[in-house]
Amino acid sequence: MKAQKLYESKDHAWIVFGRDVDKPDAIIDTNQYMVVSKDNALLMDPGGIELFSAMLSAVIKEVPANKITHLFASHQDPDIISSLGLWDLALTESTLHSPWLWEGFIRHFGMQNIKYDGIPDEGSRLKLDDVSLEFIPAHYLHSSGNFNVYDPKAKILMSGDIGAALEEADAPMFVEDFDGHVQKMKMFHQRWMPSNKAKNDWVRRVRALDIEMMCPQHGRIFKGDDVKRFLDWFEALEVGLTMDKH
Amino acid sequence: MSNPNSNYFVATATIAAKLDYATKVAQRLSLTASNARALTLRAGQSAAGFRPLTDAIHRLSDITVSSSKKINTIAALLSKMSVEKYRADNAIKHFDAVYLNSKDSAYIATLDEVYKRTKERQKSLMTDYQKKIQQLTQELEAVEGELRSAAVLKTLCQVEASQAGALYQDALNNVAENVESIASKIKKQIVFSRRQVATLL
Repeated sequence: MKAQKLYESKDHAWIVFGRDVDKPDAIIDTNQYMVVSKDNALLMDPGGIELFSAMLSAVIKEVPANKITHLFASHQDPDIISSLGLWDLALTESTLHSPWLWEGFIRHFGMQNIKYDGIPDEGSRLKLDDVSLEFIPAHYLHSSGNFNVYDPKAKILMSGDIGAALEEADAPMFVEDFDGHVQKMKMFHQRWMPSNKAKNDWVRRVRALDIEMMCPQHGRIFKGDDVKRFLDWFEALEVGLTMDKH
Repeated sequence: MSNPNSNYFVATATIAAKLDYATKVAQRLSLTASNARALTLRAGQSAAGFRPLTDAIHRLSDITVSSSKKINTIAALLSKMSVEKYRADNAIKHFDAVYLNSKDSAYIATLDEVYKRTKERQKSLMTDYQKKIQQLTQELEAVEGELRSAAVLKTLCQVEASQAGALYQDALNNVAENVESIASKIKKQIVFSRRQVATLL
């Protein structure tokens, strides 16, 4: 599992974990993100059971295990949070922030020690030492209860499945050619995202944010102007197309 | 249980299911006992010898039902414990892989406390698990012993049925057959479960 620092300042850092060479071929490649502040760390979309050992190995190269005091699951899918039952044994004091809608479902992954903090539909904030993070609503993109994480200081948006692409496990971490990248994203968004209305609502909301980096859970990270290119492309894209064929 | 790959939690769930079935069958024995009592009352003096046997059927039924329920509770708890044990075993397996892959990691020692705690949990679950298996074995042996009396009870019922008048003879013989048939069904589940439990030790 590779780890790469995306941002570093006096009070916090962003790290991406991904491109695990030992990952079984049949499971989708995922990006995991971590925000590290003075005394705490937030692990975002920590991944599935299959990745747990590789993730924990990578994480403790960066921070002590007991510093991971917060977890975030953008939604309930197995590639997002099915490792929860193992994190539950690995972490001493931790809170999982996830849509309120999914609490009863996510607890099926096994959760006896970690506390569940249900994020309300309108979103909320998390204070990590001196760092303020925002949980931005992204409902129906694709899950009916779904959030992104926005860091106004680092200008980073962890966008979950939005901006995701189906890639090879050894693909570069950043988008280098936006037009070429579109083909890897198109089907994913058209099939997994069910609602044009929800999509356009999200685009409108996210356009108001100052974003330097948009970090999806699969595929590559968008930087600088590619963020705007993505928003324009996504706004123009018709999603939920399978419904028209049946 | 010592083999981390063994499907012990599937085995315990199977035992729990078999014993749940045994409990339901045991409840039928209770019905047979009540029917036998009603029959002897109707038969009056002609089935006087049968009456004390209905008490024995009731006693066998009560013991079997209560033991089956108790055994079933233990088996269900054992099944739950084995899933918890599997989770702890699985976590230890993952932690071992992390220790192996991250020997040089700056913070590898921060896992020690978690590892120790999970190991202790694993050990404590193992101890409780072994105790429950012993308890289950003893209970299964006890109820199997009680069920042996069903064959004797059947013979005695047949003897007494032969003394009764022709009007009730068939019905009383039917009670005798029922007692043995139900006891035999329960015993089959008990024997299967006892063998399965032995493999878990």
